[in-house]
Amino acid sequence: MKIFRNPDAMWREEDESRDQANQGLETGEDVADIGTSIILHSGKMHSLNILGTEIWKLLDGKSLDEIVASLQEGFEVEEEVLREDIKTFLSEMKEEGLIYEE
Amino acid sequence: MKNDLIPSSPLTVNWAITNKCNFACNHCYSRSDTKEELDLEMVFTILDTLSRAKVFSINFGGGEPLLRKNLLEIARRASDLGFAVSMNSNGYLIDRDMAGKLKEAGFAKVGISIDSPQPDIHDNFRGIKGSHARAIEALKYLKGAGIETSISSVICKINIEDVDGLVEMALSSEVANINFHNFKCSGLGFANKDILDLTPLEWRDFYIRAIELRKKVNGLRISLEDPIISQLGETGEETLVKGSVCGKLSLNIKSNGDITPCGFIPIVVGNICTDDLMKIWNESPVLHKMRNKEPQGKCLSCDSKSDCLGGCTARTLALTGDMNNPDPHCWKNES
Repeated sequence: MKIFRNPDAMWREEDESRDQANQGLETGEDVADIGTSIILHSGKMHSLNILGTEIWKLLDGKSLDEIVASLQEGFEVEEEVLREDIKTFLSEMKEEGLIYEE
Repeated sequence: MKNDLIPSSPLTVNWAITNKCNFACNHCYSRSDTKEELDLEMVFTILDTLSRAKVFSINFGGGEPLLRKNLLEIARRASDLGFAVSMNSNGYLIDRDMAGKLKEAGFAKVGISIDSPQPDIHDNFRGIKGSHARAIEALKYLKGAGIETSISSVICKINIEDVDGLVEMALSSEVANINFHNFKCSGLGFANKDILDLTPLEWRDFYIRAIELRKKVNGLRISLEDPIISQLGETGEETLVKGSVCGKLSLNIKSNGDITPCGFIPIVVGNICTDDLMKIWNESPVLHKMRNKEPQGKCLSCDSKSDCLGGCTARTLALTGDMNNPDPHCWKNES
């Protein structure tokens, strides 16, 4: 199953916030609440943290396994934990109509 | 009263591309605005500036944007740069041919102003006979051309008894959205506020009904942009910020390039032709104040203040002279 971003959703990374989150990751801080990208779709706005943003950027037709493998290189977390986090994220994205599967 | 997230640049820019107008509306906020217009080359330069700032969408207004020479060319350029392009129009100049041209130019959405389901009331309010019929026709042509349509209605004395009728009109016109705009006391709206604006308790009753309709009606989005509805348990979950979005998610450009926080706040914070947009966005003392309003008066003890943030900044500023004051439309402690 390949997963894609909804092409109607407008999105952008927030450069300063992303740099701040990356800096936090290096020093071991909790960066979960730092919004590093914004999505606008159907009159509704969403803010993603750095993990959400990195998942979002990979949604160009990759499978769940490919997304997990790709992110494991950047985030020091057990594969099963990461997989569950990604599945939860994708489920929320799907509910909002922000992604589709083929 | 601070917001958690202010984007690094505006997400949306509202652009009064011309102030020429073929209507004579009783509540017009821009009638006395500058008639100066930017040339095409400068307009294209501004589009490049907005593109570099990663602005998502541009909404053309005015005046009547269709009276701007080269509007289609401007929209095409904006669309090619990746902006979501929309406009607010009175619809009078949109026939089937124009609707097709707007689609070709890249307009994704067009909003048409209609203030009453009763043609004679709308025509009198807008100052042009036959304007209601032309507006309804415009919606049909736009939809036929594949453009998403919406109706914008300014809520005031002329339509407060006919909110259900406005929703029925929107449903029969098959628009995606109806925007109920709260009455702003800017320009002629200020001069005519005593005969057009509602009392705080009338606003409360309007919002109760509008929220009921929003929950009940299918196939139509009913947009209520007013932060004071947080008192009715509406938390504004569609946006990332609390209170007014002006100056936090969006900016307004006037026809001469002047930048204001929104179209209804006459404070110029810079000019897009001569000043650095990002410097304005990040350093303007006016925007800073709007993003960090200090609660005063009845806001201090209000349970909704963290969501409402004092209500509509434009209205409060126009009617009280201090944006930190409680919104004059707020019905808390009113009887």
